[in-house]
Amino acid sequence: MATTTAPTTSSVSSTDPTNVIVETRNLGKIYRDFWGRKKVNALKALDIEVRKGEIFGLLGPNGSGKSTTIKLMLGLLFPTSGRAFVFGKDATDVAKNERIGYLPEESYLYKFLNAEETLDFYGRLFDMPASVRRERTEQLIQMVGLQRARRRQLKEYSKGMTRRIGLAQALINEPEFLVLDEPTTGLDPIGTREMKDLILRLRDQGKTILLCSHQLADVQDVCDRVAILHQGELKELGRVDSLLKVQDVTQIHARGLDEKTKQEIKDLIARSNGEMLRMDNPTTTMEELFLDIVRESDQRPGRRGSGA
Amino acid sequence: MRLSPDQFWTYFEWLFNQYALIQGFLLVVVLAILGFVIGFVVALLKHGPTEGFLQVSKLIRELFVVDIPATSTRRVIAIARLAIKEAIRKKVLVVVAVFVVAIMFAGWYLDPQAQYPARLYISFVLTTTNYMVILLGLFLSCFSLPGDIKSKIIYTIVTKPVRPTEIFLGRVLGFTAVGTLILLLLGTMSYLFVVRGVDHTHEAMEISADGRSGVTTLQQFHTHTFTLDDLGEGKTNETKGHSHVVTKVGDKIVVGPTTGDLEARVPIYGSLRFTGRDGEENTGLNVGYMSEYQKYIEGDSLSSAIWTFKGLNASSFGSELNYDMTISAFRTYKGDIVTPVGGEVIFRSIDGSVESERYPFKVKEFQIDQRSISLMGMKGFRKGEPVSNLDFFKDIAPDGNFEVMIRCKDKSQYLGMAAADLYFRANTLPFWWNFIKGYISIWLQMVIVICFGVMFSTFLSGPVAIIATVSIIVLGFFGFFVDDIVKGTNQGGGPIESLIRIPIQSGSGTELDLGNKTLETSIRIVDKSLLICVQTLSRAIPNFIQLGTADFVAYGVNLFGGLLSRHLTICVGYFLMTGIISYFFLKTREMAA
Ligand SMILES: Nc1ncnc2c1ncn2[C@@H]1O[C@H](COP(=O)(O)OP(=O)(O)OP(=O)(O)O)[C@@H](O)[C@H]1O
Ligand SMILES: [Mg+2]
Repeated sequence: MATTTAPTTSSVSSTDPTNVIVETRNLGKIYRDFWGRKKVNALKALDIEVRKGEIFGLLGPNGSGKSTTIKLMLGLLFPTSGRAFVFGKDATDVAKNERIGYLPEESYLYKFLNAEETLDFYGRLFDMPASVRRERTEQLIQMVGLQRARRRQLKEYSKGMTRRIGLAQALINEPEFLVLDEPTTGLDPIGTREMKDLILRLRDQGKTILLCSHQLADVQDVCDRVAILHQGELKELGRVDSLLKVQDVTQIHARGLDEKTKQEIKDLIARSNGEMLRMDNPTTTMEELFLDIVRESDQRPGRRGSGA
Repeated sequence: MRLSPDQFWTYFEWLFNQYALIQGFLLVVVLAILGFVIGFVVALLKHGPTEGFLQVSKLIRELFVVDIPATSTRRVIAIARLAIKEAIRKKVLVVVAVFVVAIMFAGWYLDPQAQYPARLYISFVLTTTNYMVILLGLFLSCFSLPGDIKSKIIYTIVTKPVRPTEIFLGRVLGFTAVGTLILLLLGTMSYLFVVRGVDHTHEAMEISADGRSGVTTLQQFHTHTFTLDDLGEGKTNETKGHSHVVTKVGDKIVVGPTTGDLEARVPIYGSLRFTGRDGEENTGLNVGYMSEYQKYIEGDSLSSAIWTFKGLNASSFGSELNYDMTISAFRTYKGDIVTPVGGEVIFRSIDGSVESERYPFKVKEFQIDQRSISLMGMKGFRKGEPVSNLDFFKDIAPDGNFEVMIRCKDKSQYLGMAAADLYFRANTLPFWWNFIKGYISIWLQMVIVICFGVMFSTFLSGPVAIIATVSIIVLGFFGFFVDDIVKGTNQGGGPIESLIRIPIQSGSGTELDLGNKTLETSIRIVDKSLLICVQTLSRAIPNFIQLGTADFVAYGVNLFGGLLSRHLTICVGYFLMTGIISYFFLKTREMAA
């Protein structure tokens, strides 16, 4: 049984156990119907680690198992195989929730409460005394910009407003570890920018963030490391910058080469009918990488060899 | 209204002498074993034997070691508050409106010419309230949790440090609070409805020449006659379950408000034994065609029914000893149908040395025969010698203990009675207090329904949880069947014996004969233990007929504290049981599946 994560090109050391916030070992989930018959194999043998202080992105097309992974980590689902550990404890342990904030894929909140009541309610669930609840509520309403809608019932909220109160709810306990399931859906461009800035700010405060998305731009902008899932399988895992390097293309930018060497290189390229423009590894876009993976995995199942 | 002897057991009698505590304990044991086995089988299928066993043990350990200690009052109250808000914002107060409409219709349709209007009104409001509140509890409790699961709001709850215990406690508490509020409103309205419904007075009319007696005007379909004493004070006769105080004020005769219809008599019950025709102890006769509730004594013989009363307090009686009888007669000879069967009542001291005179009575079938004797200057016998100056509490019941003996006078006729058929009426308590106790009883039933509703909603969808809870309520009505089987009053033996009887075609009337005594005995033992298990399990289902106490209030009998505490204990038992079952379902349920 695999006890360590798959090899990565990452520079962060994985040897220190206190640095690991989430660890999944051979994590798998099969959804079954009432009679125990298999419906969907949503996640297959996932091995990842989320490390302290990073923004980790789970990426993948619709139905690839991102939300399933998150629910397994939160104990909302029980794994069919393998295990998930959060803060070194089993994912089903309730005590870990003290240090976690979770924004679900849609904001599942009581529609008959208003923003203040919602935050107060969730504050009580953390056993926070009234004064702390009041302070946090005030702070969070300011932060997500719902000052003017604070006394309106959530059923009157627009999609973006619902998302904001959902985020506020996830932050009520000042969590060390924040799990965001598609944080930017439903937000306008400004809202999206604010959300990303907020995520970066939270990271800078030392929090660890796990987010999943299929908005590639989100991931490109904010994530330190990403895992790419497709049909429940891990396809890529690594730092965003290294994943986006195209390995079979060389780009050379050089300084201080003498003319002779330059000429040799040029000759070399000319001999092979090439034309030198610059010399280095170019980066691709997230979108291209993503499309590549989807295209490839239809022919070749399993982990991609190149990216890791 | 007929009380069964179990209804006037005191609380501790019920708990210890009647084995309630032991039965409760047995239930816990049987449920625990059953739960463990089921849990183990499920875990076995999922994880294999060793892991399965570990999983189940871990689950049980966590309940006591982790989750109960970590349960926080603030979280429970948060969830309860939310349940209350939800109920109010979803407009449960509609129930109150429906009740108001029901009462208004009742005002038109309840028979105003009924024999006992107060009884009718009280029964109506109590029954209506009971059904409404049970329905309310049912709908509140069955839909809430499945609603949260369906709308996935539960995701944001269980990813907070919320314990399964808190989800159960909070919901039960919240719905109970809502139910209590509604019950308070309905109770106040019911009280006003009853009090104002029976309230009336009359004018004096047709006063006799000496001004001492007369007839009242017709009000609410009845009149009274009345007599006055020298001081100008008196009472009307009793009609429709009440009478009025009549006083002479100056020249005018004033008829006061009703008395006797809204009260709570405090009955004091004794234990009953029988003696046969020659005075020997027996268990009373069965006359066959009637219910077995009452036992019979034979006329014109020494056959008697003897009640033993303990601890009557002189201070709860005035100058008279009031007692009520509901004795019935069985005639083996129908010569004179019109004259009721007669009997006599004798009071005597425990040692039998002092006896009162014989007080004759005629059986009043299907009625409460309200009688009284004077406490001082009683006629009777001391050591067989006639005396005429007995003081009841000094001579017959010096420490409050005494016996009452009933004999049947008429040859070839029989008198039937059960322990509850003769009781003393100490003082009466205010009606409102009895009314409140009736409502507490309804409240307990509501809490039980809420507990079961919440329990079923932890693993079933809303509508299915409703069906399950209703099934439990209905099943509870049949609980006594199991009791009959266990007591062995049915024929043909238990499940295994019956199974054996089928192939060997043995009739259920005969003894099982397999030619092997050991085998037969062991079959009986296994059968008996199986039946005891079934009986014990049947106690996991509440019997709402036994829990109903509307009759006490309607018939003006003080609802005993012992009975109410017993129901409270049962309620707490169900609360614990459903709580633990809910815990395991919540703990093992995949909220996002
Ligand atoms: N409760 C469920 N019962 C059965 N199948 C499910 C359930 N939830 C998810 N699935 C299936 O599991 C697979 C993975 O779903 P999941 O929600 O994890 O995808 P996702 O990556 O979050 O997709 P999206 O980007 O659309 O949110 C899908 O095929 C989905 O149909
Ligand atoms: Mg998703």
